[in-house]
Amino acid sequence: MRLTGFPLLVASSLVCILDASAVARPHYGGTLHVEMRAAPTSLDPADSNHWIESRNLFSLIFDTLVSLDEYGKPEPALASFWQAEPGSQRWQFFLRHGATFQDGAPVTPDAVAASLRRTNPTWKVFSEGQAVIVERDSPAPNLPAELTLPRNSIAKRDGGKIYGTGPFAVSQWEPGKKLLLAARDDYWDGRAFLDTIDIAMGKSFREQLISFDLGKAEVMEVAPEQAHRAVGEGRHLESSSPVELLALVFPRDPQSPEDAQQRRALALSIDRDLLNTVVLQGGGEPAGGLLPNWMTGYGFLFPASIDLALARQVRGEIPHTTSWTLGYDPADPTARVIAERIVLNARDAGLGMQLTSASNSDVRIVRVPLTSLDAQIALSELAAGLGLAPPKLASISVDDLYGAENRLLQSQRVIPLLHVRSAYAVSNTVRNLRIAGDASWRLPNVWLAAEKP
Amino acid sequence: MPSADNNAVYNARIPHMRALSSRFRRAVCLLALMLMPVPRILASDWLAPEEQLARKIAADTGPGAVALDLVNRSSLSRPDVEEIRRGLQSTLGALGLHFVNADQAAATVQITLSENLRNYVWVAEIHQGNNEASVVMVAAPKPGLAAVERPASALAIHKTLLWTDENRILDVALVNGSPQHMIVLEPESVVLFRLQDSHWQQDQSLSLPHAHPWPRDLRGRLVLRKDHLFDAYLPGVFCRSSPTAPLTLNCHESDDPWPLGTDQSGLSAFFTPARNFFTGALSPGIEKQTTVKPFYSAAMLPRGKYQLWIFASIDGQVHLLDGVSDQTAAKPGWGSDIASVRSGCGLGWQVLVTGGGDSSSEMVKAFEIADREPVEVSQPAEFNGSVTALWVDSDGTGAMAVSQNSETGKYEAYRLSIACGQ
Repeated sequence: MRLTGFPLLVASSLVCILDASAVARPHYGGTLHVEMRAAPTSLDPADSNHWIESRNLFSLIFDTLVSLDEYGKPEPALASFWQAEPGSQRWQFFLRHGATFQDGAPVTPDAVAASLRRTNPTWKVFSEGQAVIVERDSPAPNLPAELTLPRNSIAKRDGGKIYGTGPFAVSQWEPGKKLLLAARDDYWDGRAFLDTIDIAMGKSFREQLISFDLGKAEVMEVAPEQAHRAVGEGRHLESSSPVELLALVFPRDPQSPEDAQQRRALALSIDRDLLNTVVLQGGGEPAGGLLPNWMTGYGFLFPASIDLALARQVRGEIPHTTSWTLGYDPADPTARVIAERIVLNARDAGLGMQLTSASNSDVRIVRVPLTSLDAQIALSELAAGLGLAPPKLASISVDDLYGAENRLLQSQRVIPLLHVRSAYAVSNTVRNLRIAGDASWRLPNVWLAAEKP
Repeated sequence: MPSADNNAVYNARIPHMRALSSRFRRAVCLLALMLMPVPRILASDWLAPEEQLARKIAADTGPGAVALDLVNRSSLSRPDVEEIRRGLQSTLGALGLHFVNADQAAATVQITLSENLRNYVWVAEIHQGNNEASVVMVAAPKPGLAAVERPASALAIHKTLLWTDENRILDVALVNGSPQHMIVLEPESVVLFRLQDSHWQQDQSLSLPHAHPWPRDLRGRLVLRKDHLFDAYLPGVFCRSSPTAPLTLNCHESDDPWPLGTDQSGLSAFFTPARNFFTGALSPGIEKQTTVKPFYSAAMLPRGKYQLWIFASIDGQVHLLDGVSDQTAAKPGWGSDIASVRSGCGLGWQVLVTGGGDSSSEMVKAFEIADREPVEVSQPAEFNGSVTALWVDSDGTGAMAVSQNSETGKYEAYRLSIACGQ
């Protein structure tokens, strides 16, 4: 693996981020102020969208039956253990004792089954004694990992209200603007160290920076292209692995052999290294595949380097090319800059492209986050996010995963560009804040130190 | 020993929360991590993936002349890579392949040793003629990270490893006798071991019932007793053992104060039932002083006609109480846990103190307090992870320290003692 300057800087900030004057046990109490750009309008995980930030909000309020450790290995959460029957179509999950919803009601197999049925109408889910039974219509060897997805959070819906079992309860909710969370004393995994978390939503990077520098926020997002600079300015940075896929997506399969060849020429013409080093300032990695190499181990098989000579050769074999429109989200200035670069790259290969912010473009730049540390689940979710057919996976082997990803790429519906990191600046009073590889927050163990102990 | 999976409450491990004091230390810790040797694996561990990959390659190429190239994109060490190269060549040879230069080969095989979060991933790209390259791969689980060997150092603080466990260890007590016994306090159980042929054999495991979830950063203490074997103090819970084997454990919700120091010190303090610190209320008190600031730990030093008590407060300060005055010591960079030890060396008593270290280690140092200023009197004892517990043992001649190994994640319980003349 290459080690560039930016990861080194980030690594240094991760390894030695905390600069307390004395080692101390974690302190209870205090309010953590967090600001973010996303502005979710629902706290129902069944409405889960693909924002990383929304996923992080859900994890504070809700639990899943199973969670993933930092290596993507399933570990107990609301279920203390589980077992599959031969064939992996029927699973039993045994609930831990003592877990309650935020309204005080106990977590029962019936409540869990009702929650899972709502988000998975094609599953057969029911209670049997103290166990929750999940029956699928085909083998599901990866079901525990699938149950870690935010949409499978266990929730109790009652009269328009929704209750979770997570470490924090909602104190105040202004959709899209503000969320105030209070620690639950009776949380089954131990009360969080923080008393409250105050999350301001819909804040631009600039607004977040002002709040952070005024001491009004302890955690703020940092744009990938600003991460290097933030470290240089002495800010403590927590950064994920590259977890967000930036890609070009076509709305349809190739309509002709010429269409397929033109897509191939476009893919060959894109200088991803330049996009990463210039536009993102090293805040990501060039992507040839859908999943990053750190997750699969085989990502290097998908070429990500520019091959302008081959692009021109392929272009030369196409009698008539079409001038495509390239769409981007007008609210995403980075996407616009990337789109401009791609238009220039395509022109070098003899392909005509025009930018548009309209939604009905021939090809579009999209961002889709990886939603799981489990590679198979992440691929399935990516495919759904990109509007591709669900990948067919016969087993949980790495070569099956490779085959499924290869088939998705060969459909030529998607041209991967970059995998981008998520980064957060963290105040030096915040202890033990960890960003998992998939950019999920691990906040219950966070605590606040006095600024001048 | 019960596994975490079967416990009613699954408390996630609290990762270490270390701090550094200087830019120099930051640089050193980063450099040390970058240069940290990756533990090697026995050659036999590679046999299975070597054979799997070789069979997949041979199934594609068939027997004959191939050009083989191998590159390493993983964290495997160079000796491991060479071991794997030899193993693959040997296995491929046994399957009828022989190795030639690319210009003489019927097929070229490019093997890449890569890795993902959990596995080593070995990929072979096979080129035959003008056909599109075929790809085969295998995955081999990464082994658990072994402890990094650290050079032994001549320390005044002696560490003796007593027990290692995947479950959090809250405290350990050694019971002298024949045979010797060891009691290990864990979040969900108390486990009794017997020393037999120099190995600890489990005698009994007694579950620890508790009605409420344990708090994060769970703490607990064992105290050996004369009229029965031991008492166990946990947040909001008190347990008393029976006097004789087979042991039984009687637990109930309780806010009784926990003893500080040894039986002889005679001071107890109330522990918060849902937090990780003492409230500051003392029982019966130090002379007339019955309250102090909330604190994490305390240590006693005898002073002729009175006792000097040292409290590591939750605000990071160190308070010295003698029954009359409450003084704040100059902040010596101490951590949260302290324990006094009667060594007979120097002034006779020292205070063991956690603190220092980097993101993956922590140290315990010995201090003496001749007047009111702590003076460091030993080289530090290093732990390969954060120290999660430090309690004086029952006779006051040593302390029990528990650390969570930052590489294996396991908890390691040590007895610490101080030797003279080091």
